[in-house]
Amino acid sequence: MIILKKIFLFLKRESKLFYSNIVDLFSNILFFFLSVFVFIFALGADEQLLKSIGVGIIWSLLLLSSTLSLRKFYEDDFKNGVLMIIHMGGMSYELIVILKIFSHFLFVQIPFLVSLPIVGIFFNLPINEVYNLVLTFFIGSLILSCLISISASMNLLNKTNFSIGSIIVLLFSIPLIIFSVGINSADIHFNSLINLLIGIALIFLGIAPWSSAACIRLALKNK
Amino acid sequence: MFSFLLNPSRFNKLIDIIFRPLVIITSLILIVGLFLVYYSPLDYQQGFTVKIMYIHVPSAWLALLTYAIMTIYSIIGLAFKIPFSFIINKAIAPIGAVFTLLCIISGSMWGKPMWGTWWVWDARLTSVAILFIIYLVIIFLNQTFENREVKERTIAIFILIGSINLPIIKFSVDWWNTLHQPASVSKLSSPSIDLSMLQPLLAMTLAFSLIGLIIAILRIKAEILLRKKYL
Repeated sequence: MIILKKIFLFLKRESKLFYSNIVDLFSNILFFFLSVFVFIFALGADEQLLKSIGVGIIWSLLLLSSTLSLRKFYEDDFKNGVLMIIHMGGMSYELIVILKIFSHFLFVQIPFLVSLPIVGIFFNLPINEVYNLVLTFFIGSLILSCLISISASMNLLNKTNFSIGSIIVLLFSIPLIIFSVGINSADIHFNSLINLLIGIALIFLGIAPWSSAACIRLALKNK
Repeated sequence: MFSFLLNPSRFNKLIDIIFRPLVIITSLILIVGLFLVYYSPLDYQQGFTVKIMYIHVPSAWLALLTYAIMTIYSIIGLAFKIPFSFIINKAIAPIGAVFTLLCIISGSMWGKPMWGTWWVWDARLTSVAILFIIYLVIIFLNQTFENREVKERTIAIFILIGSINLPIIKFSVDWWNTLHQPASVSKLSSPSIDLSMLQPLLAMTLAFSLIGLIIAILRIKAEILLRKKYL
């Protein structure tokens, strides 16, 4: 029972930190909207063109804007020593990573979900494509949180090369973007593509905790 | 017996014995392979461009083989804490990158006359391009961190995660409908390539792997010397 209480307290702390810094999330979403506007201005307001390429653009801009807050994922907790204190309180690093991924999914990615139908209106997307977009983003944001966790933990001690973290996230999100954009043109294979996405999410949920925990241990050892 | 694969001083001792014969054998095999390629028959459809295959296929195999070796050494290095495996990881990453680039360039030079385009967004081509980007990220990560232990371990973890790409490259021609032709030599049944083309291909593969081995040996030796002075 006591581990459940610890998990609950961890999530409570995360939510408090999140609400104290909610402007960060709003500016993230603002960046997303503004980049959508810039894209539309650059392409011209041709409705057919926007409808045909809308989903791909929305997905790539989502990826780009989710890499913005990448470095903050572990860095604050790492610098002020909270990670070590929580670990001394009896939670393994793997569990901390899973809880971090879950809280990032809950507090950062779910608010993006609300903004997706609004962006769909800008691109004149048909309603079933908006539905597909929300569904794939619900699965895909879990994958994104795992990738961000891996990349952020790899770059904890990296003080010189700031763009390599975003490169790692974009590199491993290629299968995600292929399957989630392709789901609109696949009418018969809809269920198999959803299953593939869930499979990728499970693979990364399996990989992310041990690799992030190994990187965090390494960074704490050489801090 | 195989401890030279894990121990730097044994490796150095063995290399001092076999390096000169290795260079001679490699140059002989390369000359024989080039002669075989020169006298190999032309394809009835492709004409002279079929000879690009004798560079394209060996470099593609070596690109995958290099990554597989790096994956195995990452597992060894992370599990048994053997530092020599990290030396090998650092030394052979640029070799794999060069072979991947050679594979992509020769493939697009073949694709222009045959397919009519330099590049298509086909599953095999895209996954090989991703392999090239992964190699580049490994090389960049090698220049990034200040602490050496952090650098080595982080790169090993990155290599392990990136090895998801290897089976995707291998089976991409079976899983998707690709413009790239399916495997014809490395099939479980008998290879669907004529013997007169298989012989120069195997000779060139042997020559390419020996060239890669020589460069790898030189780079590993240089890295060992650098670390001894550094320590």
